[in-house]
Amino acid sequence: MPPESTTPPAVGQVGQPAGGGAIYDLGYRSYDGPRLGRAAAVSTLFSSSLRAAFGWGRSGRAKIVPWGLTAFMLSPAVIAAAISALVPVGEASPFTYDNYLFGSASIYALFVAAQAPELLSADQRHRVLSLYFSHALRRSDYALAKLGALVAALFIIGVAPMLVLFLGAVLVSADVPAALGDQLENLPQVVLAPLIYALPLAALGMAIAAWTPRRAYATGAIIAVFIVTAAVAGIFGEISQGRLGEWSPLINPFVAPEGVRDLLVGDTNPEAPIARSNLPMWIFAAEWVLIVAAGAGAMLWRYRRIAA
Amino acid sequence: MPLIEARSLTKRYGSQVTALDNLTLEVEPGIIGLVGANGAGKSTFLKILLGLLEPTSGSAYVMGKDVTREGTDIRQFVGYLAEHDCLPPDVSATEFVTHMGRMSGLPAGAARERTAEVLRHVGLYEERYRPIGGYSTGMKQRVKLAQALVHDPKLLLLDEPTNGLDPAGRDEMLELIRRTGTEFGIATVVASHLLGEIERVCTFLLAIDAGKLLRAAPLASFTERTGMLGVEVEEGAAVLAARLSAAGLTTGLEGRTVLVDAPDERPYDLVRDAIDDLGLALVRLEHRRHRLEDLFRAQDRPEISSGATDAA
Repeated sequence: MPPESTTPPAVGQVGQPAGGGAIYDLGYRSYDGPRLGRAAAVSTLFSSSLRAAFGWGRSGRAKIVPWGLTAFMLSPAVIAAAISALVPVGEASPFTYDNYLFGSASIYALFVAAQAPELLSADQRHRVLSLYFSHALRRSDYALAKLGALVAALFIIGVAPMLVLFLGAVLVSADVPAALGDQLENLPQVVLAPLIYALPLAALGMAIAAWTPRRAYATGAIIAVFIVTAAVAGIFGEISQGRLGEWSPLINPFVAPEGVRDLLVGDTNPEAPIARSNLPMWIFAAEWVLIVAAGAGAMLWRYRRIAA
Repeated sequence: MPLIEARSLTKRYGSQVTALDNLTLEVEPGIIGLVGANGAGKSTFLKILLGLLEPTSGSAYVMGKDVTREGTDIRQFVGYLAEHDCLPPDVSATEFVTHMGRMSGLPAGAARERTAEVLRHVGLYEERYRPIGGYSTGMKQRVKLAQALVHDPKLLLLDEPTNGLDPAGRDEMLELIRRTGTEFGIATVVASHLLGEIERVCTFLLAIDAGKLLRAAPLASFTERTGMLGVEVEEGAAVLAARLSAAGLTTGLEGRTVLVDAPDERPYDLVRDAIDDLGLALVRLEHRRHRLEDLFRAQDRPEISSGATDAA
C-alpha cells in the first residue's frame, strides 16, 4: 500500500489559505451542539463493549468464538424443546432450570476466557487507554463499563437457554394458558439465576484479564482459574475425607453462584457438589459476595494505577 | 483568568526522579510552544493538565478548573495528542474517531458528522474507511490529531506531534497545527524538543529544563537581534580578532567566526578595512540573533550565553 501517494494532494489542498480556491475544502467548523458529558460516554462505552463481546461490528473471525459458544449454550435447551414437541409424553427432559447453568460451566469458562481479554487487552496493548482517560471518562468509569458489558454478555448467554426451556414448556403443552400459569412461578429464577452466575464469573474473569496486555496470557490464566480449580475441587471431593473434602467445593468458582441460586430457589441441584456438602448455605452466599467484591475491586485498583 | 496556571507544581516518580520541580507559570491563549530536552518534564506537565497523572504537590488549573478535582469537566473541552502510538490497528479511522467523539460526550449523530469534518480537515479521505493498522506514520499522526479535535476543544495539548514524520510530513503537520490554532482560534500547546519546529508555529514559548521553568516569553523576544556581528572568514579568524580588539572593539571567537560587539554602525567599516588589510577571504557577515538553542546551552557554555544576553 503506498499511502504517501494518496496524501500529498489532500494536504496541498488543506495547506491553501481559506478561500484560496479549494471549493471542496469545507474546513473546520466549531461545534455548538449538546455535550452529554460523562454519563453518555460511559453508557456508550458499555454498549459498544457489549457489542464487542459478541463480535458485533467486528470481523467474521471475531464472531466465531462468542457465537459458537452461545450456540453450544443454547443447543441442549433447543434440542430438549424440540424433542418434547415431537414426542409429546416422554420421559422428563434431562435439562432443567436447576441443572442447566451449572451444567454449562465449561462453556461459561470458555466464554469468559475468550471475551474478557477481548474487551480489555487491546486497549492496554495499543495504549488506547491514554486516549480514553483524556476524554470525558474517569478510570473507574472505564473499568465499570467494561465489567458491566461482560456481566450483560454472560447474562444474555445464560438467560437465552433458560427462556428456551421456559417457552418450550409453555408452548408445547396442549393447554397453553394453563401451562403458562404453571410455569410463571419459575420466571424469577429463569431471569435471576443467569444474573447470579454472570456477576461473579465476570468479576473474576475481568480481574484476571485486567492484569496483562497479552491476550493469550489472560486467556490461559482464566482457563486455569475456572477449569483447573473445578477439576481440583472435584478431585479433593472424591479422595479426601473430613474437612478438606467438606470445604473443597468452595475452590470451584461455579459453586458460589450455584449456592446462591439454590438459596433463591429453595432447591438443590443434585448434580452439583453442594448436594454432597454439609456446609451451611450461607457460606456459598458469602463466597459469592466475596468473589464479586474482590474481583471488581481488583479490577478497579488495577485501572486506577495503570500507566496511561 | 489564564488559560493554564501552575502553582509550585511538583511531580516525582518514586524518590529518585523529579520530573517537575516547583513549576509556577501562567499561560494565555495562543499557540504556545513547550520546549525542553527529552526528559525535561514536558509530557508529565501535559498529563497533569489532563488529570492523567496526579501531581506530587502544588496545583494546576486549566480554564480556571482544578486539574485534580474537575478532570472530567476539563477533558470535555481539551483535546490531547499523545506522544506514543495509541491507535487500535483493527478499526477504521472513521469508527475510531467517532467512538472517541462519543467518549467526550457528543451525541451519536454529532460525533459522526464531526468525524467526517475533522478527518477532512486533517487530510484523510478515502483511506479513512480502512483499518488503521495499515496506515503510514503520517496518517496515524493525522488520526491522532483528528481524535483530539473531534469534540471541538477549547484547548489542544499536542505532545511531540511530528514524532516519526519525514520532512514533508513534518511540514504538513506543522501547517495543520498553525491553521488550527490561528484560523479556528483553538488555543494550542505544542510540546517538542525540536526548536526549529516550535519556532515555525508558535507565538509564545515556555522553555523548561529538568522540570524547572527556564523562560516564558513571546517567541520574538527569544530570537531578537543581539547587537552582535558574526564575521566568518576562511582562515585567520584569530588574527582578525586581535586586529579588531586593537582597534577598540569587543570581540569573541567562535570557530572560524569572529563575534564583534556592534552597538552602532562604526564597527562595520573597521571590519571591512581590517579584512581588506589582512587579505582574508570573507565568507559571511551577519547580524547575530538570539537562538533558541542558547537557552539550553546555558549550563554547558556559560560564557557565550551570558555574552549574548548582555549584548541584548
